[in-house]
Amino acid sequence: MAFLEIKSLCKSFEAYPVLQDIDLSIEKGEFVVFVGPSGCGKSTLLRMITGLETPTSGTIAIEDTVINDVDPAKRGTAMVFQSYALYPHMTVFENISFGLRMAHQPKALIRERVEKAAAILRLEKLLDRKPGQLSGGQKQRVAIGRAIVREPRVFLFDEPLSNLDAELRVQMRAELLELHERLGTTMIYVTHDQVEAMTLADKMVVMMGGKVQQYGRPLDLYDDPDNKFVAGFVGSPKMNFLSARVVTAGPEGLRVDLAAGGAASVPLAAMLAPGARVDLGLRPEQLSVVAAGQSLPADAVTVTGRVALIEDLGAESYLHLHLADDSRIGVRTVRHAAHLGDEVRVAAPASAVLVFDDAGTRLRGRA
Amino acid sequence: MISPLSLAPRLSVWIVLKWAIALLIAVITIFPIWWMVNVVFSLPGEPVSINPRLWPTSLSAGLDKIEMIFTQTGYLRAYGISLAYALLTILGVLFIGSLAAFEFALFDFPAKRLIFGIVMLSLMVPTAVTIIPTYLLTSELGWLNSMQGLVVPGLASAFGLFMLVQFMRAIPPDMIEAARLDGAGHFQIYWHVALPLCRNALITLAILTFMQTWGNYMWPLIITTSPEMYTVGQVVGLFNAPLSHQTVDVVMTANLLAAVPPLLFFLIFQRKIVEGIAMSGTKG
Repeated sequence: MAFLEIKSLCKSFEAYPVLQDIDLSIEKGEFVVFVGPSGCGKSTLLRMITGLETPTSGTIAIEDTVINDVDPAKRGTAMVFQSYALYPHMTVFENISFGLRMAHQPKALIRERVEKAAAILRLEKLLDRKPGQLSGGQKQRVAIGRAIVREPRVFLFDEPLSNLDAELRVQMRAELLELHERLGTTMIYVTHDQVEAMTLADKMVVMMGGKVQQYGRPLDLYDDPDNKFVAGFVGSPKMNFLSARVVTAGPEGLRVDLAAGGAASVPLAAMLAPGARVDLGLRPEQLSVVAAGQSLPADAVTVTGRVALIEDLGAESYLHLHLADDSRIGVRTVRHAAHLGDEVRVAAPASAVLVFDDAGTRLRGRA
Repeated sequence: MISPLSLAPRLSVWIVLKWAIALLIAVITIFPIWWMVNVVFSLPGEPVSINPRLWPTSLSAGLDKIEMIFTQTGYLRAYGISLAYALLTILGVLFIGSLAAFEFALFDFPAKRLIFGIVMLSLMVPTAVTIIPTYLLTSELGWLNSMQGLVVPGLASAFGLFMLVQFMRAIPPDMIEAARLDGAGHFQIYWHVALPLCRNALITLAILTFMQTWGNYMWPLIITTSPEMYTVGQVVGLFNAPLSHQTVDVVMTANLLAAVPPLLFFLIFQRKIVEGIAMSGTKG
């Protein structure tokens, strides 16, 4: 059995379901990230693991012991809040040691553990300060320190970096990874920022509408999403979706008419009725601008659009193309590949195309 | 170059008016107190002579009067009773009020809104309406002429509860949850987290309660009939009574002595109110 096992977990607030049938297993020492848009239930799931919310049904077990009814303080979990939730009237030392003091630990042990945590987090010189005298990053470290001294089996982070500015966020991200490496403890991290999730996670759990959409290694989710939501959510800039209708479908491949004009063949063996609506998913980096007179492989998927916006990022540029069916797609390219208002043709290899049915489910199967 | 004149605040009619009004209010407020001091620290008869002075003339005359009042009347005992009455009431009001506010502000329980509504409703009932039933109840308990008779009926302060609830609502729920995860029990969260965070509200409530109990005349008057339990208010009342044979300067001394503790209390703690604990533990 896995280190942390969640089985058929449901949670409703007054008949309104927030989480439905969550099954998840987390291995010891993993860095797991719950990611999803606001209101997808990821924070509620975290709060249930730590005991701040009680499940409506289902079980949560750590090391084979069901902890549903265990007191939050005795579950061996420690949580870092988005707001840091430091006690403003206490010094850093008192903040970090609060849990140990509540557990009536001997003074020498408290001092030793606090000093150890302070050393890890570079807080030694700040122990006598009050939270009001600290910067955002320092407060965050104190909040983490408060979790470390409890020597938990699982660390829980609830969007801990969302109050920091962009630069500090990148730095703290690196520090968290370093901390994870150093402590080797299981960490569960909640964020709505998929970039944060991609960079931190060993295992990424994508949630939406109270359900786990897919979980696995970040790059697996990026390359092989189970549905349109995961495909669109993972990766920045987002995956492009081209609306299309099936012309023929069978074991030999799929032929579609694109809503934006033109047709495409995809090497996908699927049983679809002619006329059924599908979406073709293509990542911006898989598309490239076709120069005038350039010859293309026969199976390339091509589409034409007008350049509506150019984002020059230095090393690369993103073209936003306005297509004939009023949809927009993004194309990663080099500098000066096109000008604003140009009609350009972009192409991608058919093998790179992901196909989703009308309900958003990914269709698999090589032709 | 900027002329020095343009740097000085411009003297508009509005500013002059503001200052004039502020000064006027200050004079009106301070003058009676100053007059008390003036009468006490003067030779007998001087302030009420045909040619009165606006400033004290004799320190020793004042000290003699104070000594006389403390040694020859029951004033010192009344001081003790009043202080005990005020301090016990403050402690009780703060403790009971903050405990109740903690529950009302931060936790949910059945009929919470209804109960809170009833408590708030009691704010609108004048004391005069409740004083007779309260007296009867206190008397039934055998608490007439006792400290508990003075203190206990004043312990449940609806105003105090209201004020503390407003303050505690500002405590972020995360902080309470963090304390819970840190293993703090219900009372420990109250004691270590909620109470220190509303220190300023507690101090303000303490000051208001002190002013109220120190100046409370009606309740002590009806509950304590024996002179041993008289509060300062009652003793000062005796000095001021129409048939009192004290001269005006002695009466003024009694008045002044009664006014000193609330003044001191206010001056000491007023700074604390201003200081202000920011909720700086959350969001940078």
